[in-house]
Amino acid sequence: MPFKHKNTRRIEGLDSNVWVEFTKVAADPSIVNLGQGLPDISPPSYVKEELAKAAAADRLNQYTRGFGHPLLVKALSQVYERVCGRKIDPLTDILVTVGGYGSLFSTVQALIEEGDEVLIIEPFFDCYEPMVKMAGAKPVFIPLRNKNDGNSASSADWVLDPTELANKFNSKTKAIILNTPHNPIGKVFTREELQMIADLCIKHDTLCISDEVYEWLVYKGNKHIKIATLPGMWERTITIGSAGKTYSVTGWKLGWSIGPQHLIKHLQVVQQNTLYTCPTPLQEALAQAFWIDYKRMDDPDCYFYSLSRELEGKRDRMAQLLREVGLKPVIPDGGYFMIVDKLSAIPLSAFCGPETKVQFEKYIRFCFIKVNLCPRKNQKIEINECKNLQ
Amino acid sequence: MAFGPVRFSPPECCSSAPTFPQPPRLLPGSQRSGRSLSDAQGWRHVCQGTGAGLLQPKADRPRWVSVPVGVSSRSRGMLRRAGPSLRHVLLERANSAGHSLRFSKAKMSRPVQARRLEGVDKNIWVEFVKLATTHATVNLGQGFPDFPPPDFLREAFVRAVSGENHMLHQYTRAFGHPPLVKILAQFFGKLLGQELDPLTNVMVTVGAYQALFCCFQALVDEGDEVIIIEPFFDCYEPMVKMAGGTPMFIPLRPKAPKAGQLMSSADWQLDPAELASKFSKRTKAVVLNSPNNPLGKVFSRGELELIADLCVKHDALCISDEVYEWLVYDGKEHVRIASLPGMWDRTVSIGSAGKTFSATGWKVGWTVGPTRLLQHLRTVHQNSVYHCATAAQEAVAQGFQRELERLGQADSYFAHLARELQGKRDRLVQSLDAAGMKPIVPEGTYFLVADISAFASDVPNTTGSDEPYDSRFAKWMVKNKGLAAIPLSAFYSGPHKNDYSRFIRFCFAKEDATLKAANDILQKWKREKAGP
Repeated sequence: MPFKHKNTRRIEGLDSNVWVEFTKVAADPSIVNLGQGLPDISPPSYVKEELAKAAAADRLNQYTRGFGHPLLVKALSQVYERVCGRKIDPLTDILVTVGGYGSLFSTVQALIEEGDEVLIIEPFFDCYEPMVKMAGAKPVFIPLRNKNDGNSASSADWVLDPTELANKFNSKTKAIILNTPHNPIGKVFTREELQMIADLCIKHDTLCISDEVYEWLVYKGNKHIKIATLPGMWERTITIGSAGKTYSVTGWKLGWSIGPQHLIKHLQVVQQNTLYTCPTPLQEALAQAFWIDYKRMDDPDCYFYSLSRELEGKRDRMAQLLREVGLKPVIPDGGYFMIVDKLSAIPLSAFCGPETKVQFEKYIRFCFIKVNLCPRKNQKIEINECKNLQ
Repeated sequence: MAFGPVRFSPPECCSSAPTFPQPPRLLPGSQRSGRSLSDAQGWRHVCQGTGAGLLQPKADRPRWVSVPVGVSSRSRGMLRRAGPSLRHVLLERANSAGHSLRFSKAKMSRPVQARRLEGVDKNIWVEFVKLATTHATVNLGQGFPDFPPPDFLREAFVRAVSGENHMLHQYTRAFGHPPLVKILAQFFGKLLGQELDPLTNVMVTVGAYQALFCCFQALVDEGDEVIIIEPFFDCYEPMVKMAGGTPMFIPLRPKAPKAGQLMSSADWQLDPAELASKFSKRTKAVVLNSPNNPLGKVFSRGELELIADLCVKHDALCISDEVYEWLVYDGKEHVRIASLPGMWDRTVSIGSAGKTFSATGWKVGWTVGPTRLLQHLRTVHQNSVYHCATAAQEAVAQGFQRELERLGQADSYFAHLARELQGKRDRLVQSLDAAGMKPIVPEGTYFLVADISAFASDVPNTTGSDEPYDSRFAKWMVKNKGLAAIPLSAFYSGPHKNDYSRFIRFCFAKEDATLKAANDILQKWKREKAGP
């Protein structure tokens, strides 16, 4: 059949996707799925209850406000005003999207175009590259490098080289995509590291797309810092969050972009031309859950803090299991992934651009937000996995 | 004079409290909020002390100057066309909605937002939804039911979210939850007379709206022409434009109804010769919406064959928006264009749980078509939203299972909904007719368009306004009568907005009490016009 049935230029070469391949393999029940990042722990009961309540309410089954359900954007503005220490207008500074993924897409479509360059720190959550390409722009990669030269015990060992980073910025650099806490390494960027990035953004008048979906998952001794709160950065940063990661409900697919009105308004234009609005009952339930936790943000039982305490135990457990089978885990300071220095699970080269694949080939990523990590069962299965995937 | 990059930071050091100053108000003229970053002339000021937001002359850097906060779209075009040497002297007062410029040497002329957003920023719903929220006592404007989805569907949702399987709160298959794509393949396979593979011939989307977006992004390239039939659901035009395509409009033209009868949506028809003339070698696709929003027209088999023949002849695709497929009245048949000869291979059919099950807030839609088209929709989907929410898909799957068992029977929800809505249609038609507005009786959907010429004296024509008459009328009506409806011009392209400007669209998917209240407003209005 003639050319008319071909794909458009914007999606040329973007059809393959690592997750489609891996979720097929992981569907095999003999394999313990520590690959894709989704919890198999239950979300907190009040979160599920709020959703059941919302569905039962008549008026909550029809369209709500396109840029975000009023109750939800109000709740988000309250939570983040507290976190950021600045006023956030719920109607103009926030957009509710279909997951953190949807926020990334809306941001890139709104602000990135042909002729732009976008800096991506490797390893990166795989969608950044195709999204930048779909917008017609050029991804420019900069790797995190192991400062301990092959021996890496912690995610903090992975750092950017300041000179290398500075050299990647030029007059075409429209934005840098930052992901902290970082998937897959689990690095939590320090204030100094963020300041270095911020200085370059300001110097080159570059935007910052800050993917902070794992913002609450930081472990003892670490603090999540929002780059948007650094001087000169609010005006040029879109900060992305996710209900899926905050409340262990990845299947709700709700996320948000927060930033200055003069940037958010363009994301809102994308929204009104792509999906118009996000589901109502989910947004209502999320709003209610946020109010519950907002009221106890001074209380250690607040889910924002209790989840990370729970995960820290699982992190340490998984690290122990991996060491017992002779693998070398890189202990993450945040997130719910851990990389190890050997084969199995998601190969780290999936998170890299072509030039850096070699550097990361010997690492693989595990997800530890799982119910039980039974040592004996895992030991056997891991060996099987290595055989299958080799 | 050359520039270096400019800092945009608010001068926090200069204010006593660490609160963020409000950005400039988006008002015409040069009004500013009290604590704006910019002065009365729209210049952004910076702190001389700490250097925050500072334009600082440095030895190794060219001198910097105060720069404008924003620029009107007219000036933006001017800046874009100006050469580098001229750009720095183009200093404009900030008076537009948030077009922030960045001022480094190379970026001076470019707005921050991507070019693909040009011309797609206006949206009628933002304005009219706000008006309805503020003024309406009876809202027959935006298209959604004011009654809930059926109990069996809500129960299915509650079961999904509270049940033992808490994995329904986690990601499901990206291209559609397996139970849902399976039942959709079964259901639509039957209706289309095709063997459908749930994994390759069906894709679930965030409402039919996102399905449309995937179609245009996947299949429409710069330079492609896309035929759109007017009046049209308003998002088609900006979506085609955002994909770099050129919309080619063709109107449905009203024929006079038979003597003594009310006009029907069937009386609005395409001119075959005119339609044929719109096709060219650049025509990538036709967008078909049947049953049609806003008119309620249900395209007949003959009309669809006309369109199909042209698609086949010109090797064009068909994007078939069939969200109202179950809302068809008077025993009329909804014919699926994908089932016509030569059409399966070139058609993407779009459906919506929101319209099918009266649950617009669930945002579950789907596309059905050949894999060689759907594969490209999958690529767009996996690079934009990737997954759709799980629980609602599970519930919709159960809803369809129930309906499959009852298909064609009297107790099917689809049959029940169509009967209910036909009754409501007839009620509203009667109210409007009695009041003096002239309704066009819709063959389908839950919309009805009426001619408001008899009420035009209440809203006189004003010269010097390029707002279409029906838009001014609808705004006046909601503010003065509390009755919300949408002007028909909202569903026409720019140059054609005044072609049919004496019509407004009502949504009748409302409780009987709401329709009664609308009737009361209309009758009172009629009495007032008749005088004491």
